[in-house]
Amino acid sequence: MTIRNKAAIVGIGQTEFSKNSGRSTHRMALEAILGALDDAGLEPAEIDGMVKMGANDDVFEIDLLRSLGLDNLRFFAEIPHGGGAACGTIAGAVAAVTAGMADVVVTFRALNERSERRFGESTVGGGIGGWMQYNMPHGLVTPAQWIAMYAQRYLHEYGHTTEEFGRVSVLTRKHAATNPHAMMYERPVTLEEHQSSRWITEPLRLLDCCLDTDGACATVVVSAEKAKSLKGTPAYIAAAAQGTGTRSEMMTSYQRKNIARLEEAETTGKELYRVAEIEPKDIDVAEIYDHFTPMVLMALEAYGFAKPGEAPKLFQNGALELDGEMPLNTHGGHLGEGYLHGFGHIVEGVRQIRGTAVNQASNVKTCLVTSGTGVPTSGIILSQEAY
Amino acid sequence: MQDLPRPVPRGDRDTAPFWEAQREHRLTFQRCSNCNEVRYPVGPMCPECRSFEFEWIESSGRGTVYSFTVVRHQTHPAFAVPYTVALVEMEEGPRLIAELKGDGAASPEIGTAVKVEWVDHPKQPLPVFVPDQEQS
Repeated sequence: MTIRNKAAIVGIGQTEFSKNSGRSTHRMALEAILGALDDAGLEPAEIDGMVKMGANDDVFEIDLLRSLGLDNLRFFAEIPHGGGAACGTIAGAVAAVTAGMADVVVTFRALNERSERRFGESTVGGGIGGWMQYNMPHGLVTPAQWIAMYAQRYLHEYGHTTEEFGRVSVLTRKHAATNPHAMMYERPVTLEEHQSSRWITEPLRLLDCCLDTDGACATVVVSAEKAKSLKGTPAYIAAAAQGTGTRSEMMTSYQRKNIARLEEAETTGKELYRVAEIEPKDIDVAEIYDHFTPMVLMALEAYGFAKPGEAPKLFQNGALELDGEMPLNTHGGHLGEGYLHGFGHIVEGVRQIRGTAVNQASNVKTCLVTSGTGVPTSGIILSQEAY
Repeated sequence: MQDLPRPVPRGDRDTAPFWEAQREHRLTFQRCSNCNEVRYPVGPMCPECRSFEFEWIESSGRGTVYSFTVVRHQTHPAFAVPYTVALVEMEEGPRLIAELKGDGAASPEIGTAVKVEWVDHPKQPLPVFVPDQEQS
């Protein structure tokens, strides 16, 4: 028995994405959740479950419960490991509704990541424990720097240059440029602009790094049975999975045999395809987590769309363009639309399944959405049909 | 530079001996008493045989650069840019993060032979890597 198509995302909501929201994450989470409920045709009082992301969050389910005037949640959970958790919240919601532990589960992410707490700024002072004690005393203090170790090794293993990273940036910004919701709307970049953008931490340049964003997104997950009684088009969840790899650490799994491969994404992908009973070639559109461009290449390889080291070819032969075999990051991703820690990708995946995206791919039956890489991760496969 | 507030490892019941040894300029790793597996990061159990028994062994301090980053954008007051952080594969097996200093540190190459030297920061001496002429 699997969870294949036993649950669906029936509502999505989001605020504007900006550099300064001018309001609290608590308020933005509520706005996104009310939007998602309205989209689904459900009332706030029908919520009986919530799943949130754990890292750097200051909005708790009890805060939202209080604001919404609700008394009881039957199911609530928090998924760990930063951006790796985004699709994991959907997995948790699916587990709850298919097990009968909740009927209407809300998942959300709300960040003032630009105007309040920027993840790219390092913590100063205090004693360092856990995984960071091995890195921070030596000056390896930000996500870009941790990821740079994987990126440098990827270049070395396969003999690539940073132009391969640049093509990820160019394609993603191209899609953002035609998305009015995107922070980089009407602001495409060229490969030359990528190559001349300033170094952040070699081999990563400014245009290899995601944006800093204020905003919120939310989804509503119910059983496939309940979805039939609602007004909207459900995005059935053909699979939802989390994954880890050998010698996993939070962001610095440097002891494993080959750090130019994303073991967590490989294990997550295998489980997704097993549960959905499809193969990578059956995916019509992909929303791949893009905090840093090299990780998009490595993720495309891990999820089976290219052999190790060969993802750059997909950017050279047009396969990932809107009219290509499998359009990629149609909303403009973290590099162009905004950084909602993987939630913008989920919301866009639902729109692609519904056929309502600004940059709509044609004939979409299935969509792969993936979450943060270089960390324990998660993914979902959305389907138009409950096959 | 070395007087600025560099993050200090606080150590815990597993990792304190690792940092205490470094205060005496000794780089140490855990070796399983049952199967001789050398493990890192520090942890209570051998992932190969699940033994809790281990001893601390002293590293030769020699290794090769496995990956690196040259940090150009400053985010922390203790770390003036540019500086290079390397992931070094040690002779004993573990890969260790530390700054790379000396000739070629501004444009390192993967595979370069390096060795440990020590820098006495106020609260916690730390290893850095420098090119190892004898190895290369």
